[in-house]
Amino acid sequence: MRTRTLVNVAAMSAVGALALTACSNSTGGGGLSSSAGGGGGGTTYTVAFEGPLSGDNAQLGINEVNGVQLAIDQANAKKDLGFTVKLLKADDGGDASKAPAAAAQVLQDATVMGVVGPSFSGASKAVGKIYGAANLTIVNPSASNGTLQTLGFPTWHRVVPNDYAEGPAVADWMAKKFKKVFVVNDLSDYGAGVAGAVEKELKAKGVTVQTAGVDAKTTDYGAISQTVKQSGAQAMFYGGYDAQGALFAKALTAVGFPGARVAGNGVKSSVFTTGAGAAGNGWYFSCGCQDATVAPSAKDFTAAYTAKFNTPPSTYSPEAFDATNILLAAIKAAKAAGTVDRKSVNDQVSKTDFAGITGQIKFGPDGDLPAGTGTVNLYTQKDGKIISLGDVSKAS
Amino acid sequence: MTDFLNYLVLGLTRGSMYALIALGYTLVYGVLQLINFAHSEVFMSGAFGSYLIVGMFVHDGQHLAWWQVTLVMFLGLLSGALVGAAVAWGLERVAYRPLRRRGAPKLAFLISAIGMSFFLSQLAGKLFNRLSQNQFPSYFDQNKAVFTIPGSGATVSRIQLIVIVSAVIMMVFLDRLVSGTKLGRSIRGVAEDAPTAALMGIDIDKTISRTFIIGGALGGAAGFLFGTTFVFSNIMGFIPGVKAFAAAVLGGIGNIRGAMIGGLLLGVVENLVPTFPWNGSGGWIGLQWTDVVAFVVLVLVLVFRPTGILGERLGRAA
Repeated sequence: MRTRTLVNVAAMSAVGALALTACSNSTGGGGLSSSAGGGGGGTTYTVAFEGPLSGDNAQLGINEVNGVQLAIDQANAKKDLGFTVKLLKADDGGDASKAPAAAAQVLQDATVMGVVGPSFSGASKAVGKIYGAANLTIVNPSASNGTLQTLGFPTWHRVVPNDYAEGPAVADWMAKKFKKVFVVNDLSDYGAGVAGAVEKELKAKGVTVQTAGVDAKTTDYGAISQTVKQSGAQAMFYGGYDAQGALFAKALTAVGFPGARVAGNGVKSSVFTTGAGAAGNGWYFSCGCQDATVAPSAKDFTAAYTAKFNTPPSTYSPEAFDATNILLAAIKAAKAAGTVDRKSVNDQVSKTDFAGITGQIKFGPDGDLPAGTGTVNLYTQKDGKIISLGDVSKAS
Repeated sequence: MTDFLNYLVLGLTRGSMYALIALGYTLVYGVLQLINFAHSEVFMSGAFGSYLIVGMFVHDGQHLAWWQVTLVMFLGLLSGALVGAAVAWGLERVAYRPLRRRGAPKLAFLISAIGMSFFLSQLAGKLFNRLSQNQFPSYFDQNKAVFTIPGSGATVSRIQLIVIVSAVIMMVFLDRLVSGTKLGRSIRGVAEDAPTAALMGIDIDKTISRTFIIGGALGGAAGFLFGTTFVFSNIMGFIPGVKAFAAAVLGGIGNIRGAMIGGLLLGVVENLVPTFPWNGSGGWIGLQWTDVVAFVVLVLVLVFRPTGILGERLGRAA
């Protein structure tokens, strides 16, 4: 009896192992054949996207990967690159602990010449070194934590202003209107970063600030809402992400907090508007991002995106589109200069001076946009929709 | 004072839900000396089950007459309880009974429970598109204050009243059931000494199965209340599950009244301690330490009373 069970177990694990090898073979094989086959344009290079394509924050990843896909499809259709481009999607769930596995998946494919992503700051922090060690260039469309550029990631580039640019900009606006502000953050790399920057600038402008942190896994925002209300603050700033922001919005309305609600770019999304419903009306959002539906420079992009994905572009779609085009231009430039490898592409990305739909993009020595370039815009939710109020430094 | 009472009401609301879930852990532990780690998914399925039923009766943004709201609430609670009971019953059949028949070691039950927990959570994710925030349609103004506590500005909202009152009713009902009926006697009998109970003519399998059903019904009803108050998703079970387990241990695992007290206490402590001294300053400790506070209290209680506040046995104390 015992032997038979053992045999069964052995047989089953053998089958399992075979299935696993079959899987890894097929993925590997797929990568190789397409890189060799190439189609009309000769060689094929791959642009990787790393971000959340599943889980709580998948919407942001989908916004971005669609932008990447559109840029690649347009470039392939135009046929003026001299090579074909393919997209590799690596899902990190927006989770720093899953990011290294996603990065390993990207690095395995030798045709990958650059990464758009990771979408989130925590994930970016986790893999910046791994990509750097492989000379693989990062063009980041959305991770806005203000310390990422200081961590010595050799291939780091970012097309959006960081939280140390965005936070103070929105804080200056708040300081014009409010004398007492309650700053809440979700204890994540992004949330604590932007909340800290806002707090510092508000204090510098003489505003009374009170702070609190609420873990992002909480579902009950009753206590924190009560605390915000009792503090007598005229406004509340939330540094965190959309799904949690929606719960917070509902709880604030439930306790009847009378003040203004302001949040950073992480909250500005359709996840927030649908989740919060009427409780989200009147919220303000700062974002170093472009509203593709109103910006004149993004008109063609918006039309093409809407036609392709049956939905208008959302937060960070234009930024991902620009990041991808920067990468494609760099591969092209590297090809013109002789060799295309990860290092030469990274060198070309660093030299970028690119007129994108979100603005003129240049990278400083640390890979970020130089101070003073990059606009922070203010948005608000009105009747369940997010509308742009324009440049936050000029907003009333 | 106003602040204190507001936090207290928030704590009692959350604590009632913990208590209902904790009862599921404690009942099963009582009869099987086993932690049913899949109980958090029973709670989750109660939320989804009642969502399907409530969704059939009301549509988005529709405000109903008071008697309709009461009816829908009752149906939601009932369907949550039914689905929870069904899932718990199935769980026992699939994941525990076969192991028990073959006399598997305790560790195997634990792994089986964890496996079922993953399975149920992913199944719900698959069926309901893995949305992180499912919401019940809003069919009445939940947050409208029902009354103001005399002598202060603190208010109790409709949903808070509904959660606390229905939880208390269910707990009183359970307490009567266990201490005063034939089924309750057999549950206590199996908990105290299963082989002897079998010799006295109690069908152990049936009793265990029914214990799972009762615990599942309470957990499922808690799922409905939780989903109505906050939001629900396929991964919603984990944190309330861990907290409720802690509450069960706090009150004395296996002890029914202990689970009730432990749940309420944990909810109240979580809200009151971090916000002390309740004067609008945000508290000395601060809300970011909520979970730390909860588990420090648990550890402190266990240091001085290792068997929990009311002690361990289902057979005796209830």
